[in-house]
Formats: sequence, C-alpha cells, structure tokens
Amino acid sequence: MTGFFSADLNNRGLVLDPRTKLAVMLSLVVFTLGGTGSHIQAVRYAVIALSIVPFALHATAKRYTKTVVLLCLFILVKSAETWLVPRLSGASLSITSVLCMLFVRLMPSLSMGSYMLCSTTVSEFLAAMHRMHIPQQITIPLSVMFRFFPTVTKEFSSINTAMKMRDIRLGGKNAAGLVEYRLVPLMVCSVNIGSELSAAALTRGLGAKVKRTNICKIGFHLPDAVVLVGIVALFTLWILGMNGVVK
Amino acid sequence: MKGKDLINIGIFSAIYFVIVFIVAMLGFVPIMLPMLAVLVPIIGGVPFMLFLTRVKKFGMIWIMSIIMGLLMILTGMSWPPLAVSAVTGLIAELVFRAGKYRSAAMAVLTNAVFSLWVAANYLPLFFAADKYWESRKDYGQDYIDSVNKLMPKWMCPTLFAAAFVCGIIGGLLGRKLMKKHFEKAGIA
Repeated sequence: MTGFFSADLNNRGLVLDPRTKLAVMLSLVVFTLGGTGSHIQAVRYAVIALSIVPFALHATAKRYTKTVVLLCLFILVKSAETWLVPRLSGASLSITSVLCMLFVRLMPSLSMGSYMLCSTTVSEFLAAMHRMHIPQQITIPLSVMFRFFPTVTKEFSSINTAMKMRDIRLGGKNAAGLVEYRLVPLMVCSVNIGSELSAAALTRGLGAKVKRTNICKIGFHLPDAVVLVGIVALFTLWILGMNGVVK
Repeated sequence: MKGKDLINIGIFSAIYFVIVFIVAMLGFVPIMLPMLAVLVPIIGGVPFMLFLTRVKKFGMIWIMSIIMGLLMILTGMSWPPLAVSAVTGLIAELVFRAGKYRSAAMAVLTNAVFSLWVAANYLPLFFAADKYWESRKDYGQDYIDSVNKLMPKWMCPTLFAAAFVCGIIGGLLGRKLMKKHFEKAGIA
C-alpha cells in the first residue's frame, strides 16, 4: 500500500471498476452506516455479509495483516453486540452498546473507503466519473480533495504535536489560542502545498480547453458482475422486506 | 472557471471537511449534537474566509456547497443536506457576487448563508423522527431519549438561526485572523 490515490498497480490483486467500488461504498453507507432495513431479519443477515466485503477486498490487495486484524475485531465486536449487550443493564449497557454500535457501523464503511482510495488511481477515478457524465467542475475538486485529505491530516497531527509541546491544549496554560494556533499554520501550509499541486496539475494539461483523453482501461468484468449482483440482491431483499414478503 | 480554481475548491473543501469531521465526532455525546451548528460555522469560517479571497468567478462557492452535500451522502446523512446545500450554496454565491467578489461585509454574510447546510443535517430528526430512530435502534434507548429531549420541534428553526448567526461570528473571526496572520504572510 502506498497511500491514497496512488495505488500500487502491481500488487493490488482483484481489479474492480471504480464504479463498482462506488456502488459497494454507497450500499455500505445505506445499510451499515445508515442502518436501513435493520428491522428485517433477512436484511440484517445480508448486511453482515456485506460488511465483510471490504475485508475480503483488502485481502485481495495482499494486505493480509490488516484483513486479519480488522476481521477478528469485527467478529469480536459483532458477537459482543449480539450476545453480550442484551444481558447488560444500566451504565455498562449504554457505554458498551454505544461503543459496539459505533464500531460495527463505522468500521466496514471506513475500511471500504480506505480500500477505495488506496486501490484507485486519480486517472481511473476521473475516467470512471467521465463515463458517468459527471461534469469536470465536480470531478476535479473531488479528486483533489481526496488526494489532499491525507496531507491535511498529516500536517494537522504534526502541528498538534508541536502545539502540545508549547502547552497550547485543553486545560493547558495557553488554552485561549487552542484553535487559532492550530488552524493558522494548517492553512498556511495547505495553501502552499495547494499552489504547488496546481502547478503540477497545470503541467499535465488540467487547465487546457481541449477534451482530455485517458489511457486507463476501465470497464465491467466478471468480478464486477458478481459484486453488483450481490448488491442488487440485497436491495431486492430490502424492498421485499418492506412489503412484508420476507421477514 | 479554470483548472486552478477547481483545484482551489478541492483544497479548501478538504480543510473544511476535516473540521466538520472532527466536530461531528463530538456529536456522539448527545449534548454536543446541537453544537455542530455552532462550532462548524465558527471554526469553518476561518478557512472559508481565506477561500473567499480566491473566489473571483461565478460558481466556486456553489460547487463547494454541493460537494459538502455529496460528502454528507457518503458519510450516511442521506439526501436532505445535499438538497439544502445546493440551494444555500447558490444564494451564498449570489450574495458574494453582489459584493463584486471583493466586499468584506458581503464575505461575512456569505459565510453565514453558506453555513446553513450544517443545520440541514438535523432535518430527518424533526421530520422523519420515527424512521430516523428505527434505523438507529442500536444507539441505545438512553441516547435516543436524551437526544429527543434536546431536540423538540422548535429547535429546527433555532438551529438554522444558530448556524446563520455563528456563520457571521465565524466570518468576523476569519477576517480578524486574516488581518492578523495571512495578509502579513502574503497569502490572503
């Protein structure tokens, strides 16, 4: 793994179309993060299967440690939620259930997000968006933004460390400058990095008026079909459940 | 709009969203949930005011607003934020254009209008409360009760008003920091 939007092309295993990954991501958001249809039992079981998809995808990209650790954690927390939580009461109940809930809801979507960003190059992303007829005005800011997130968080954590050393933190002696002393340096360096980024993008012809071409070969293949059929099945199950056909 | 403008939108959206994300994480403590409409406009006002110094063409604010709405869909907030942000973003754009993309007072007002999308995240809580909680049963009854107590119906307009007022405060704060730091550093 080399980082967001800079995929290790030789080592990424199963290649899914960026649009398929987006479909998986959206259904994870709807069903696990949003909890849609969680009152239908069949959907609940199907959603557990869906939650495991991101871990499987990490495995195909040969990130085995990550897969195993995340999968074990997920199974552990999910079983705690299923069997332990109903037996608790009072304060221990609310703390454990909120923690379990947070983890079970957020984890699959987060790991799918990281897989999506780590296994897709900017070019592939732009090509896929272009095929979906999404205008450049949306796709360019989006791709810059996703590429930029890791930079911002990295800079922010370094600034945070520096400010902690100067005792500018909650409860420290300089708590008043808490926000200012973090935001200002973050923005100054982001702006500088940003202008370098735009210079780099301009040399690749991003600002040109001509139609851009792309050498990435994207398209739907057998693995995409398998994944998409699974997603369609899940949505069908949910619609059937809403109409009371399955429980 | 040229490539450089689009890249600027991306960069400032990233900074803005990191702030939203950090503040939103606090929302898992019930009392902090309404604070989202207070903290995001104030803290987000700082990068947003700096962003406005780079806005010279029609559409940049609108696009950033739409991107915020799209990100809310990706983070599980469903469609109401996108519906609202597409409208408020356009209004914010028109407000800033009325100030010829220069006026400082209009920039502060623009931040206030732009910030309204944050309050839209709460809409399902008020208008589809049963459905909202049905899909969030596992938050635990305690959490549900305390949020319902914090969020009676009249809170809905209050939150929009809070986002607007805090947007003005955030805009003024952004102006102040810009004068103090960024103009000296030559990046405003």
